[in-house]
Amino acid sequence: MVSPAVETRELRVRISGRDILKGVNLRVPEGAITAIMGPSGSGKTTFLKVLNRLIELIDGVEVSGEVRVFGSNIFDMDVYTVRRMFGMVFQNPNPFPHMSIYDNVAIGARINRVARSREELDRIVRWALEKAMLWDEVKNRLRDPPWRLSGGQQQRLCLARALAMKPRILLLDEPTANIDPVNTAKLEEALRALRRDEGMTILLVTHMPHQAVRVSDYIVMFYDGMVVEEGPTSEIALNPANEITRRFLRGEM
Amino acid sequence: MTPRRPLHDIIVFYSLALPASLIILILLLLLLSQLGVAIPVLGVQGISTYTTTVWRPSYEPPQQTIIWLPMLEPPERGAWYGLLPAIWGTLVSAITAIILGLTFTIALVVFIEEIAPRRVREVFSTIVDLMAGLPTVLYGVWGLAFLGPLLHRYFMDPVHSYLGIIPLFSCEPLSGATVFTAGVLLSIMITPFMVALVQESYRSIPFTLKEAAWSLGMTRFEYVRLNLSMILPSIASAILLGFGRASSETAAVTLVVGNAVNIGFCIFTPAYTISSLIANQFTESQDFPYMLNALFAGGLILLVIGLVVNSIGIILLRRVRF
Ligand SMILES: Nc1ncnc2c1ncn2[C@@H]1O[C@H](COP(=O)(O)OP(=O)(O)OP(=O)(O)O)[C@@H](O)[C@H]1O
Ligand SMILES: [Mg+2]
Repeated sequence: MVSPAVETRELRVRISGRDILKGVNLRVPEGAITAIMGPSGSGKTTFLKVLNRLIELIDGVEVSGEVRVFGSNIFDMDVYTVRRMFGMVFQNPNPFPHMSIYDNVAIGARINRVARSREELDRIVRWALEKAMLWDEVKNRLRDPPWRLSGGQQQRLCLARALAMKPRILLLDEPTANIDPVNTAKLEEALRALRRDEGMTILLVTHMPHQAVRVSDYIVMFYDGMVVEEGPTSEIALNPANEITRRFLRGEM
Repeated sequence: MTPRRPLHDIIVFYSLALPASLIILILLLLLLSQLGVAIPVLGVQGISTYTTTVWRPSYEPPQQTIIWLPMLEPPERGAWYGLLPAIWGTLVSAITAIILGLTFTIALVVFIEEIAPRRVREVFSTIVDLMAGLPTVLYGVWGLAFLGPLLHRYFMDPVHSYLGIIPLFSCEPLSGATVFTAGVLLSIMITPFMVALVQESYRSIPFTLKEAAWSLGMTRFEYVRLNLSMILPSIASAILLGFGRASSETAAVTLVVGNAVNIGFCIFTPAYTISSLIANQFTESQDFPYMLNALFAGGLILLVIGLVVNSIGIILLRRVRF
């Protein structure tokens, strides 16, 4: 782990006076897939949303500590710049219902001004859809509204939208929690390919130990707003040191 | 076998179905009586009732014209009731109201929903709701006594003297009672109503979509623009329903529109709208042949505009569903 993509020091989050994250110290390696696991309410979503400062949308949030992304403190940066470094996929698919499939992807590129011409935009949209393993399924219906797609396809569309931003880091919050095994397999394959071919840094929140084992290089275990264990997937999956991790992996939580 | 419905169920059903069907009956009656009273004048003046600009009450009835041939000039002799100026005035005042009202509406909704702190937001929402329910004659009296003179002195006069070459502002405003004043007053009256419609829809945008928008790194401006585009059908609906209200409003408009038969591209002139024409001329219309019928012919237009605009508006309103 030479240069971390994300590094947090004593990261604390309080929402309406309640401690949600209680001092998280973490180094997320660049170019790898890091799986974040932990029981419900342990602060996984909160952690992701601190990174792209989406947490600030909630009233009564206090964040303290340090978060560095590629070395720069995100709280010293313009909030929009911070958000544009990350692409995010949420627990439930949330494409914009009034836009076509094409525009749903293109908006990621448009907001970040990554395309200089119409042709370049077309290329980026196609690239993003291919990377999200959705291109073959939608190439003939790019003008359709997104709600004609299945839930799993919509989730990959949201992945494509995030990719079209050309983000440096991908955040995924239980992206397969509500989709079927076939779609889950496709999304996992897309993530592995992104890491392999693009060297993408990926943070994947998942509650499925098998998924973590299948796709991740590192595992981070959250419990009650703290990191209780972290390390390479092979080590943690085979030989967890922490009792909580052990119980979680056995499916007891 | 389905069980028989209990008697009280049947009684309740029919006693509620009766008033419900009464509503449809009333709507039909309204349409029929409008049409029925309008028909005599349409039988004499024909389509030209709607294409001519002369309003000439007289004891001598209008001369028969070819019903399906629209004329621009009425016959020389006899009474004539051309509704074009009133229709024009209705359109001009309602369109002015919509342009201004839409601007206010978008500004207010964005301010209330995105900029104002929570406290201020609630105060504003309450004020807007309150204003939507005020009796319209209050607006009319206020428009006549304050808004009209104010606009005359500080807006219409200066605009006319500096921008008088533009046809829209080319006529000299003689008083505050003009079709423009009516448009401004109407915009104030329909804004609270339009705000309520647009705001409700804006609020119904799910948080997950807002999160998605912010996560793309949108600026506040881009974010607001995206949200507004998501609720475009509601905005269109607010425009149509607002237009329906503006074009049919009577009490307030009659007080400020100036009530003169006028037609042209200049908005600083007194004019009639269909509703103010009806309100103003109704008493007199008993004395002249066909005049009452002509007013009903105007009412028919209002009814048609109202039905078309409102039903499209309501259909559009149902289109926004998240
Ligand atoms: N908007 C909010 N207001 C108040 N409390 C919140 C808010 N969002 C989250 N919390 C609280 O923060 C804690 C952590 O929530 P978080 O969503 O980060 O958990 P999680 O690990 O993602 O859980 P899950 O696996 O169920 O998604 C929870 O106790 C939750 O109640
Ligand atoms: Mg969560």
